[in-house]
Amino acid sequence: MDKYSRATIREFMSPSNIGSIENASGVGHITDNADAVELTVFITVKDGRITDMKYRIAGCTALIATLSVLSREVLGKTVEDALAIDMAYVSGLLDGLPESKWRCAGYALQALQTAVSDYRGRAQ
Amino acid sequence: MNKIAYLDNAATTPVDPAVLEEMRPYFSEQFANPMTYAHSSLGDTAHTAVEEARTRVASLINARPEQVVFTSGGTESDNWVLKGVLERASRERLHKPGHLVTAEFEHHAILHSALALERQGYEVTFVKVGRSGIVDPDDVRRAMRPTTVLVSIMHANNEIGTIQPIAQIARVAHERGALMHADAVQTTAHIPVDVEAMGVDFLSISAHKFNGPKGVGAAFVRSHDSIYPFIDGGGQEWGLRGSTHNVPGIVGMGKAAQLGKERLTSEMRRLTALRNALFEKLASRIDRLAMNGDAQQRLPQNLNIRIDGIDNEALLLAMNEAGIIAAGGSACTAQETVPSHVLTSIGCDVKEAKASIRLSLGLATTSDDIDYAADVIPGLVRFLRSMT
Repeated sequence: MDKYSRATIREFMSPSNIGSIENASGVGHITDNADAVELTVFITVKDGRITDMKYRIAGCTALIATLSVLSREVLGKTVEDALAIDMAYVSGLLDGLPESKWRCAGYALQALQTAVSDYRGRAQ
Repeated sequence: MNKIAYLDNAATTPVDPAVLEEMRPYFSEQFANPMTYAHSSLGDTAHTAVEEARTRVASLINARPEQVVFTSGGTESDNWVLKGVLERASRERLHKPGHLVTAEFEHHAILHSALALERQGYEVTFVKVGRSGIVDPDDVRRAMRPTTVLVSIMHANNEIGTIQPIAQIARVAHERGALMHADAVQTTAHIPVDVEAMGVDFLSISAHKFNGPKGVGAAFVRSHDSIYPFIDGGGQEWGLRGSTHNVPGIVGMGKAAQLGKERLTSEMRRLTALRNALFEKLASRIDRLAMNGDAQQRLPQNLNIRIDGIDNEALLLAMNEAGIIAAGGSACTAQETVPSHVLTSIGCDVKEAKASIRLSLGLATTSDDIDYAADVIPGLVRFLRSMT
């Protein structure tokens, strides 16, 4: 494991947007027993753009920090633009996230994708 | 400087200032090669210092000085004993590849050496360990084969601190004609380590685990003719271990052994009380908290707890931010994101293993450190649980 950046530690120690959204437009839930991860992402979508994202998380530092920056980064983005966010981009937001942590932190993006799928399913 | 409560003494300990003082002359002043003692008074001084250290280490473990062979540390001692004994007994006695019995929850210095032996055609049985974290001698008995030449069980586990019934297991080994090795890296100078009472033929020791320097250790070898050398070279250490002696390191190890022996009883009592206080405070302030491994047959300085609903990596980082240094698995696996093999071997599932931390106390640990950790950790657990 390479060291976490100070930005990652700061993000993890005071994470943004923890919580849940009642009447969310989409919800994405992921459980992975092998990684001992459980998370739920809630999004509100208005006119095709994400206006709110919250999450509940039991997981590692990288995942918590990733969710925190992601929850700010997606605001105002179209769902298509939000889905285009990848781990390389997230790593940049965190001043470099060790690549050994990308797989686990990637659950954040998976949960967002699931939430978007849920939103699209409901919209149809 | 902000407060630091160092509770990772199972990973390594600070060098005792008295040890450092003892080592200091052997870098630049008394620098000679001890092997030159016959014709050099400088060499004789270094040689005398090495032999004094050997006597001190021998005294700590109730061995004879010539049974103490200095190495570069616990990992080398473990590698050497497993490979040197398997090769010699197989070649000279069995005339076919021999069998090793060890346990699933050993340190990687043992496990990976055992796997290396398997690759070379030797046979290995990894005995399972129950929830208590204590190897059952009957399980060792069942694993024995006519070709078993060595049994290697750690004296105490490095993660959960459980103390193993080495004397009973040694009897099992000897009944079947095998030799007995114990990795005593976590126990030496922390609880009584007596090679006669334990009945072991080999023992691994590391200086930096008891306030000595890093890069030096020893192997207790009951009989020199039971093992092949691992590092071939000059005639150092009766030809059992080549390489110029690490004189400052060896001198430091000797001093640490002497001090460790003097302090053993009082430190056991002190650390047991501090450890118990830490557990009781944490258990009263954090719900869904449990101890991993047997609570009684346990090193005084070790506390390993699992806290439902937290990720140990996240908790350790948050603790570090608050100046409390501890560990998840062992320091040797701290770079991996896999759960501890020790905890999974005693029946923890992945979630429990990843919710576990090791707090290990040492000579420098004070009651202030314990109070601080007991005050701060519950808040950090609440912080992490508030996200779930």
